[in-house]
Amino acid sequence: MPDWVDPVAHYMLHEGLKNTLRIAVFAVAGSTVIGILLGTLMTIRFRPLEWLLRLYVEVWRGLPIIVTIFLVYYALPTTPYVHYRFGAFTGAAVGLTLWGSAQVAEATRGAVQSIPREQHEAAGALGFGWIGRHLFVILPQALRRLLPPLVSLIANIIQNTTIASLIGVTELLATGQRSIERLQFEVGANSHAFAIYTALLAAFFCISFPLTRLASFLERRLV
Amino acid sequence: MLAANFDWQFIWDHLPDFWEGLKQTLKVAGIGIAGSLAIGIVLGAARAHRVPVVSWLAATYVEVIRNTPILVQIFFIAGALPHFPGHPIRLEPFTIAWLAVVIWGGAYNTENFRAGFEAVPYRYREAGLALGLGRLGTFFNVTLPIGARIALPSTINTNVSVLKNTSLLTAIGFAELTNTAYSLESESFKATEVYFALGVTYLIVVWTLSLLIRVVERRLALPEAR
Repeated sequence: MPDWVDPVAHYMLHEGLKNTLRIAVFAVAGSTVIGILLGTLMTIRFRPLEWLLRLYVEVWRGLPIIVTIFLVYYALPTTPYVHYRFGAFTGAAVGLTLWGSAQVAEATRGAVQSIPREQHEAAGALGFGWIGRHLFVILPQALRRLLPPLVSLIANIIQNTTIASLIGVTELLATGQRSIERLQFEVGANSHAFAIYTALLAAFFCISFPLTRLASFLERRLV
Repeated sequence: MLAANFDWQFIWDHLPDFWEGLKQTLKVAGIGIAGSLAIGIVLGAARAHRVPVVSWLAATYVEVIRNTPILVQIFFIAGALPHFPGHPIRLEPFTIAWLAVVIWGGAYNTENFRAGFEAVPYRYREAGLALGLGRLGTFFNVTLPIGARIALPSTINTNVSVLKNTSLLTAIGFAELTNTAYSLESESFKATEVYFALGVTYLIVVWTLSLLIRVVERRLALPEAR
């Protein structure tokens, strides 16, 4: 191994990968909780609520994630009446959560609607209210169908955390690019861009591949 | 510096700028969708028919592209290929732009079409072969017309994603829609107006595209799925 590899790898793993995984954890947790809640609410037959939730899902699924993150990070501070400034880290996590929750909501709606009516009726007959019926009877069954898309969502969110580098978060991609610049400054024409970008592709592949494999395995087993 | 009110006039005045950016976005997305459909049909056929070597290479291509971030792929083409050891590859920004989205969409469409072609019942192909159409003739007259239409719904998401992913080309300074908005914001500081207009533009384009494809899909759908 050449001398330059060790400090670069250390920086990319301890600063970059750590931040990538931190954003991903927040975004995955937020997307799952908000998405399952909104997706369950989407099955309620009440027009204004249906339209509102449909709008939420279509907007955040329709916008490119980079635009959502720019809206959260750049536009909110100057928005009349809002004037709220997120840090870059939080801004990226919120942007990813808006997108992810819309994805999960759509998947949850489908999963909840796939549960036979009799399950609702039986739970109702046992004296469960709307909340108890969904929490203890419907959602646990819907989870089987929900698990594969949730696992793919984790892989997708980890991949999309790279967009946070564009608003200045030092996640994995950004630490790689900084290393390229620093090495170029130190050693001049002999650039390590090819090696570092290849390493970045390899690193993301090693994280994402097992997850997508797991997702398709679960899809075959559970659905 | 904080705008007290939303400046509609600013958006109105800069509509021509947005239009310029949108044209670039649509141009790259158009090439991206056409190219990725072409790759998808060819490699999807190779995968479904288990063509030796080509099928394995296609499988590797699909897994690599689907399991790495497209932003890193864009930077790889723009930033790493010019430093390819021994043989630097320098490409025009526009070439990088369409190449990146074609490669990305091609991988997803390969999967879509593979699934579509594999869903064509084997007896249909047997019938084609029995009629003496030959392997290639059977593909073009039986597997392709039926399998591509089975694959159609899943290619919709990919095609829309190709359009949305052109927004990431802003990272390499390619002047598409998002990049146009970004430049406009950095010289005017009207972040809310600029990004609001950007978001609305994308929603109009993405929703229209989804609607159009859905209409086409309904026209092309297999009779039993109609």
